[in-house]
Formats: sequence, structure tokens, C-alpha cells
Amino acid sequence: MKEIYQNSTSKKFINIFLFFLLIYLSFIYLGIDFERFFSAFGSFGSIIVNRYYPADIEYILDPGYLHSILNSIQMAYVGLVLGVIIASILSYFAAINITPSKNIAYPIGKFFIIFSRSIHETIWTILFVTIIGFGMLAGVMALTMYCIGFFGKLFTEQLENVNMKLVETIRSNGANEFQVFIFGVWPQVKTSFTGILIYTWDVCFRASTIIGFFGAGGMGWYLKRNVLQLEYARVASIVLSIVALVILSEILSAFMRNKIQKETQ
Amino acid sequence: MKSFELDLDTYSQQNSKKITKKILFYLCLVVGIFTSVYFIIILDTDWHRIGSGGEIIKQLSYFIGLDFSLIKHLIIPAFETFLMACLGTALGLFLSLPVAWLGAKNVTPLGMLSFGFARFLMTISRSIHEIIWALIFVGAVGLGALPGILALAFRSVGFISKIISEAIEEADKKPIEAIRAAGGSGFDIMYYGIIPQILPTVIGTIIFEWDINIRRSAIMGLVGAGGLGLAFFRQMHMSNYPGVTTVIMFIFLLVMIGEIFSNYYRKKII
Repeated sequence: MKEIYQNSTSKKFINIFLFFLLIYLSFIYLGIDFERFFSAFGSFGSIIVNRYYPADIEYILDPGYLHSILNSIQMAYVGLVLGVIIASILSYFAAINITPSKNIAYPIGKFFIIFSRSIHETIWTILFVTIIGFGMLAGVMALTMYCIGFFGKLFTEQLENVNMKLVETIRSNGANEFQVFIFGVWPQVKTSFTGILIYTWDVCFRASTIIGFFGAGGMGWYLKRNVLQLEYARVASIVLSIVALVILSEILSAFMRNKIQKETQ
Repeated sequence: MKSFELDLDTYSQQNSKKITKKILFYLCLVVGIFTSVYFIIILDTDWHRIGSGGEIIKQLSYFIGLDFSLIKHLIIPAFETFLMACLGTALGLFLSLPVAWLGAKNVTPLGMLSFGFARFLMTISRSIHEIIWALIFVGAVGLGALPGILALAFRSVGFISKIISEAIEEADKKPIEAIRAAGGSGFDIMYYGIIPQILPTVIGTIIFEWDINIRRSAIMGLVGAGGLGLAFFRQMHMSNYPGVTTVIMFIFLLVMIGEIFSNYYRKKII
């Protein structure tokens, strides 16, 4: 008994040692010296205190900036609506148990969802800005792609967990594909659809505050301007306003989620 | 009989109130869509710049094709991106352990004070985007892979520590009581009572966060933190559009590998 115990502890020790060795080697490979790494936390604290600390709150009360907040919300909203509409169709294709055709629709839906998910929203923004120019339209398109990936993945998982017995019953009674979806599948996933929708809104709004940094309108554009002008006090206040808005939207969506849960019970 | 009628009356009144409320809510949503679309399409979009549909297709066609001469220059940045994601997740785990300890209601040392502080840290970490974290750290420690690692770590803290603290809160209390009754110290309770219970959840969460961090680390180069993002940024600024497509394909490949790996291991653990 004692031997087994010792064996497992020595194994654990070797594993931990290997883990730290790997970290050490990758630090050397990336050319980071440890002095710089350990001083990073100190310098992080010092630049927060020296550069960012007295946040310029007056700047974010400027009407132009408040308008850009509204623009961010609008971008997130339209992007969410478009993205969810497209993603619902794609996840209907990509759910293997209810897909209309396994050879054509399934790979198309799966590929589009995975592809738009693996490219980060900022890269989407840069691509759309080069294609159609600066402005909110590019941001809306980037957020649409982002929502397709995010919503599509979660909703596909829900669709794949649907109880197939009900669906088969309706199908065997002679319903067509559309009727099967409306009466067999939709009532089962309705609650999780709204839940995922609210979650996607949270994530989408968080993304919409930043994509302006790459030329898509909204608050990000103000952020970029002040970062380039080295106006750190203003940057701090913009970051604070983003945090406040994200917390506000999270509180709102938690409230909505509770209300929907109460209604369905 | 009369009371029954009254009940029915009030019930139908309440019901109709509920329905009007619902209709008003949906109406607000639809009106919101229309005003937003009006703002975006008519007030903000420069249709002259976009031109006709043919011009958009022409712009898109620049991106078609791959730049094969670029591939051998992308392998090292891809490896760098991968390492950045791994180290960022590892550092994020180290940073989130104390935060999770403070943020779990049943083990937090100072009651509401430390609990609130930990929740505050988690919210800050989650609500600031990784680009902003990277900007702050590029200002603090200079260019290179280090600010990317730190930014990923700080962004990961919120999610990892939230999951860990929830796991600690839901841990079975009987082993903890047993260790306490046998005279174990606070460390013994943590090491023998809580950690074995939460370990599967923690490992699953870390692998999930690692998978997301690969995606995030691919863009750290856009603000000066190395990796594939820097290669993307360069190709974009040189207007080498097939090169841009190649870099995107590389990112896609890397993320796919990460996702397959993470799915496989999470299934194995659960």
C-alpha cells in the first residue's frame, strides 16, 4: 500500500516537473527573460496608477461619444438579428438528426458555422472594412458572422438533443419537413432558443464595443483615436464606460432570463 | 356564482394586460430594428464609396487564391501563437486560483468583503476585451509575445475562476467535515477535501479556455504582440490579398486542430 502511494506521488512530482520544464523551454523559445516577466506585474500597476488613474470622466459625457454608444448598441442589435436568422437556418442544416439532406446540407451548414466561429470578430471586421469601406455596415456584417458562429454552435447542440420520438410520430402522420420543424422540433427547443439568444446578445454587445477599433464605427473608433494620441486619461474613461455598459447589459439579460424562466414554469 | 364571474373577469383582465404588454415589448423590438437599420443603411453608409454590386464582387475576387510562397514563413508564427495560447492559459490558471478561493462563498476568508472583491475582479476581467488588455500590456511591457501572454491570462481569469469557485461551492461537504473532525488544517481541507472533487471540472474548463485562447491569440499581433496576427497585419498592409487568405486559412487550421483536440480530451475526462 505504501509503495503504491509513493509511486503515485513520485509520478505526480515528475508530471509537475515536466510541466514547469515545458513552460521554461517555451519562455526561452519566445525570447522572454524572466526578469522582464516578473517585473511585468509591477509595471502594469505603475502605468495604471501613473498614466490611466485620473480618468477623464468629462470626455465620455460628450454628446459625440454618447452618440457612438448608441451606434454600438444599434450595430450589435442588427448584427444579432441578422446573425440569428441565418444561424437558425444553418443549424437546422447542421443538426445531423433533422437535417434535410445528409450529403449536401449537413456539410455546408457545419462548415459555415465552424468557419465563422474560428475566425475572430476583429479579423472579420478588417476584412469587411477593406471590402465595403469604413462605417457601421462593415461592423454589422462582422457581428453577423460572429453571431452565426456563436449562436450556430450552441443551437446546433440543442437541436441534436431533441427527442426524436415526437418528431418521428409527426413525420409518420404525413407531415412535410416544414410542419415537422414547426410542430415537432420548435416547441422542444423554444426555451433554450431564447436562453441562447440572450447569451449571444451579451457576447455580441461586448464585441461591438471593440470592433470600431478597426474601422467599424461605434465606441471603438474613439478608443483608437485616443490610443493613437496617447490620451491615457481618456482611454481609461472609455474603458470604464465599456465596463459599465457591459455590466448593465448583463444585469438586464439576467433579469430577462429570470422572467422567461418564471413564465415557462 | 357571482364570485366566480368576478374571478373570471379579473383573470381575463390580467390576461389581456399581459398580452398587451407582450405586444408592446415585441413592437419595441421591431421599431428598434427599423430605426437601427435606418441609421446604418441611410445615415451612416457611404454608398458612393461602395459603388455597385459588381465592384463589391471585384473587391471580393482579390481575396481568391492562396499565396504558397508565404507558407514557410507562417509556420514559426503559428507555433508562436500556439505557445502564446498555452502559456496564457497556464498563467491565467495560476492567477485565477486565489481569485476563485476568494470568490467561493463557503471558503472565502473575510465574508462579504473578499467575496465582493473577487466578483468585482471576475467581472472586470470578463468585460474588458482582449484587444484592450493587449493594448494596456503593450504599453506596460513593450512589444513581443509577453504582452500577448499577459493579456490572454488576464482575460481568462474571469471565466476560469468563476467556474472553479462555483465548483468549490457545489463540492460535497462530507469529506471536508471528516477532515476537519480528524484535525486537518485549512490547507489539508483544501488539498485532500476540495481539490480531488473539483479537479475534473477544472481540467475541462482549462481545456475549453485553451481552445478559445488559440482563437484570441491569433489576433494579438494586430496591436503589437506577435504571432499570426502580425503576419495578417503585414499582408493586409502590403495589400497582398491572396496572402491574407493564406493567413486566414492557417488560423482556421490551427483553431480546428485545437478544437478537435479539446473535444476529444473533454469527452475522455467526462
